[in-house]
Amino acid sequence: MIRFDHVSKYFPTRFGPKYVLRDLNVDIPDDRDLAVLGVNGAGKTTLLRLIGGIDFPNEGRIHSDRFVSWPLGLSSVMQGTLTGRENVRFICRIHGVESNADIEDFVKEFSELGENFELPVGNYSSGMKSKYAFAVSMGFDFDTYLIDEIMAVGDANFKRKCEEAIKNKRKSANIVLVSHNMDLLRRQCNAAILLAYGRAEFYESVEQAIFRYQCL
Amino acid sequence: MKARSSFAIQRDVIFAIFVREMISRFSTYTFGNVWLVLEPLLMMVFYVLLFGARGRGAYGFVEAPVFIFSAFLSFRLLWNSTMRKATSARGAARGLLGYRQVRLFDVFIARGVVEAGLYVLVGFLLGVGLYWFDYDPTPDNFLRVVQYSLLLWLLALSFGMLACMIGSVAREVEKLITMMTMPLMFLSAVLFPMSIVPREFWAWMTWNPVLHAMELIREAWFAAYESPVASPTYLIAWVLVLMAVAMSTYRLTWQRVVSR
Repeated sequence: MIRFDHVSKYFPTRFGPKYVLRDLNVDIPDDRDLAVLGVNGAGKTTLLRLIGGIDFPNEGRIHSDRFVSWPLGLSSVMQGTLTGRENVRFICRIHGVESNADIEDFVKEFSELGENFELPVGNYSSGMKSKYAFAVSMGFDFDTYLIDEIMAVGDANFKRKCEEAIKNKRKSANIVLVSHNMDLLRRQCNAAILLAYGRAEFYESVEQAIFRYQCL
Repeated sequence: MKARSSFAIQRDVIFAIFVREMISRFSTYTFGNVWLVLEPLLMMVFYVLLFGARGRGAYGFVEAPVFIFSAFLSFRLLWNSTMRKATSARGAARGLLGYRQVRLFDVFIARGVVEAGLYVLVGFLLGVGLYWFDYDPTPDNFLRVVQYSLLLWLLALSFGMLACMIGSVAREVEKLITMMTMPLMFLSAVLFPMSIVPREFWAWMTWNPVLHAMELIREAWFAAYESPVASPTYLIAWVLVLMAVAMSTYRLTWQRVVSR
């Protein structure tokens, strides 16, 4: 259960506070996969960051008893000067995972990097980077994955592999998905949050949310 | 995934950042490990030539290389590097803060520990080097030196932490600190003892807590030297007040600083 308890979030600007969420109260049950909808700049990424615990609401609290992943996005959170392997080790350490050799092997194989895995991440091409970032996140077992428009990375072959991996994870985990691809949202999610006009609305039905989103 | 206590998380995170800092510290330069010792060594040789070339007895109670060794290294690594590293922690940790376990505070601690460790390492290596050339680099009162070095380190860490938090509002802070580094070295009696400074300057110079730390370390290092101005109470008071201010500032503003 992820519970939003009177959560407000705004950014101070020259024109006064710009609200992303205003007094949001919602419980997201454990069996819900959440789609996040909204136009550009509505605060979808901010909402993910709030759930992920790396940004904080101005008012209210977010309660959660689940292991929530870091937001998996295209703007990766890897250190460019470290090699692929060293970055994986770092992430293992901060997550208190001791069996880092298994995860290293998994990431090396899944990301199809080969010997590039031992080279600094900063030198990867953007395609390699997103494959790598995706592989790293699949190496860990979270309860909830926060996915920020990353499911369509790489070539056709890799895309299929991604969907396969996500499907496997879904047996034990939920996702919160940000995407502009409505078909993807329909396929993957069974609840939605629509961000518009500085507030957030929760929908039990994705179809309804998409309809509302398209009428904005 | 298994649940850990807050303490276990912090321990894991600090260790992870520590390792990461070490790796990037040693791989930035081609001769990373050598440069680490070489840089302070070259600076020290330069100052020894500059101030010690007049020959024996320049300081009265000790040879020039040992004198420079005792003070310059503490100032350079323990004060300056620690403070600068803490000040720039936020920019350097930008990527790390994408993981919910990592807090800015852990970055301060890890960076501080790295600098302290390097100080001990470089100090040991240079000490062995001095010993090779028949100087006596060992402090006369070792425990006191450790105590005052620790205080200086805490002072640097608190100052850097505060500067980092203020710097997130006003970027100018880093510029000011860069400008202050060189004058501060002379105002802190790093390359000369306070006993050769004319008495009328004492009242002004002793406001500076770093000067007290340098003088106290010197006093503990050389039994023959007695500082005319050093006051442990003043230094400890500074450390306590600065630590309290830095930590409260952190506590009150860290969420805003991180989400900026």
